[in-house]
Amino acid sequence: MLFFDLLVQGLIQGGIYSLIAIGLTLVYGLLRILHVSHAGLYTLGGYIALLVTNLTGSFTLGMIVSMVGVGLAGMVIYRLIYQPILNKPPFVALIASIGMFIAMEEIYRIIFGPYGITFVDPPLQGTFTVANIYLRHSEIAAIVLAVSLITALSLFTRYTRIGIAWRATVTDPEMAQSFGVDVIKVRYLNFFIGSAMAAGAGGMVALLNNLVEPTMGSVPSYKALAIIVLGGLGNVKGTVIAALIIGISEAFGTIYLGDFLDRDSIAFALLILVLMFKPTGLFVRG
Amino acid sequence: MNFRTAIRGLLFGTLMAAVAITATAAETIKIGVNVPLTGFAASDGTSALNGAKLAVKQLNDAGGINGKKLELVIYDDQASPKQSVPIATKLIEKDKVVVGVSCSYSGATRAAAGIYQEAKTPYISAYAIHPDITRTGNYVFRTSFVGEVQGRAGAKLAGEILNKKRAVLITLNNDFGKSLVAGFKEKANKYGITILNEYPYSIKDRQFGPIIARVKADNPDVIYATGYFFTAGPLVSQLRAAGVKATIIGQEGFDTQTFIKIAGPASEGVIITTSLDRGSKSAETKHFIEQYEQMFNHKTDMVAASGHTAIKVAAAAIQAAGSTDRAAVRDAIAKTDLVAATGTISFNSLGEVIKDVQVQIVKNGEFRHYAVISDAALLAPPAQ
Repeated sequence: MLFFDLLVQGLIQGGIYSLIAIGLTLVYGLLRILHVSHAGLYTLGGYIALLVTNLTGSFTLGMIVSMVGVGLAGMVIYRLIYQPILNKPPFVALIASIGMFIAMEEIYRIIFGPYGITFVDPPLQGTFTVANIYLRHSEIAAIVLAVSLITALSLFTRYTRIGIAWRATVTDPEMAQSFGVDVIKVRYLNFFIGSAMAAGAGGMVALLNNLVEPTMGSVPSYKALAIIVLGGLGNVKGTVIAALIIGISEAFGTIYLGDFLDRDSIAFALLILVLMFKPTGLFVRG
Repeated sequence: MNFRTAIRGLLFGTLMAAVAITATAAETIKIGVNVPLTGFAASDGTSALNGAKLAVKQLNDAGGINGKKLELVIYDDQASPKQSVPIATKLIEKDKVVVGVSCSYSGATRAAAGIYQEAKTPYISAYAIHPDITRTGNYVFRTSFVGEVQGRAGAKLAGEILNKKRAVLITLNNDFGKSLVAGFKEKANKYGITILNEYPYSIKDRQFGPIIARVKADNPDVIYATGYFFTAGPLVSQLRAAGVKATIIGQEGFDTQTFIKIAGPASEGVIITTSLDRGSKSAETKHFIEQYEQMFNHKTDMVAASGHTAIKVAAAAIQAAGSTDRAAVRDAIAKTDLVAATGTISFNSLGEVIKDVQVQIVKNGEFRHYAVISDAALLAPPAQ
């Protein structure tokens, strides 16, 4: 039973990591920028989902407002931070992004206080038991959300015009442009969708922990980088698989390696191992 | 990340300049404070500083010390030794504080302690727990328990007071968690406790699913869980959601209303060892609790009480010394016998506090009095 418990916990964590990392890998694929402040948007997603839920009593509404609001915030970050420095060397954008992330953490602290905030009446607190595995409804919701968002994204990029244009741009921006794709529009779309997915993860984590802190994004800010490198930078499918692998490794690692390996170091140990044998990551960009 | 530090450093420099300009009022007795007001420890820092501010207000409203008003000189150290060391130098040499108080964590406090010792300026650690802090020298004191002392009290609570003998340890993997657990393990045998398993976790963890799956299989009577409210809140709620019914014992790190808010109904019945007794009959403690809640409009906690206590100890020593001579104040601190918000305070030869351990239980969404542990031999702090 322990095996299934750990597997399920790993899948939940992996699902959340995927939602965060997809936005990051998309930005990298499109602009070659390591978008560290993405983790700040994830935190913002947690704050908005929680505050709207507390205000209206509806977690669903909270999640929708959060995803749309953070999606727009992602577009604003692109416009204000990245667009003006796109022709500079990549480290300029990286520094700007790190600076933005620190600023966001401190802004959250100033606005929402250092103690972190909680749901007044946390929804989805029941448990569901099958074969002695207890699952909180909130955990089930996290899995459902991750699966449906990732499926929706894949359908969107496969079957809609704008989705296909997007995929084309990620693969080869110049060629796409010469076929008449509006690259600027694609970039906005990219930031909107990536940020909205991170907000979805933020809202779910807020619920799972019943806590949103200013520093909630600090672990994802670097762990998501390990995931997208492992998944082959810019590769969405690879990123999802890498996220699940890391989630599951962490679940088992916490129990079987916990005495000498910190949970957060497992992702990086795995990353080093993989890069030693396969320097392009597990999945080559496609 | 270095960029991060650089940018924070820049912000911090600006802040220091601002503080320096405002801190020039004459005819006051200055107490220096290093406290994390930004970064990951900002919540504890804010509480501790609020407690310290309340102590200064109470003392100044009552006429000050030796006819002079007290003044806090406050710098944000982000709980980082890189910040606390220059802050200590600045407080001692530029601001000419009589006493320094650390409202910060162990890393920052330990690093600053050396500077205070060298400058022969008394330094009081309000709630940092690393044993080496007081070992720095005879000018360094601590008004809170070292981790081991509280861990030993935890063992007595589990094995004797609650009579729970099959324990699982869920240990926060830092100096705080490790020293608590070291004390618990040291006395576990004495109280007949069998330790079934120990699971370490990192301070960044909020999801404990894998550990909880294992704990269920262990089926303990009692869980000795070390952590801070932001790890303990999610941990306790996830333990209960997974159907784990064992009694949960926590410590000072749980001691804030935010813990109860995060864990919700799951926090009911959690028992902690701490320094603040909500059911205290002592006027000092009662006034502290009432006035804190009035002044800051939220429930008080152990960290706030600790900041308050450290300032009261410093002020009482300055008064007893009758001067602001740092050596005389040090000697007066060493002789402290003071009723403070966290109990009756005195120090051993190393500068470690001697006081009772308070046991509190969560009932109807609040911490309430449960027991007091005042076993002097069990609670004896290290003397060297």
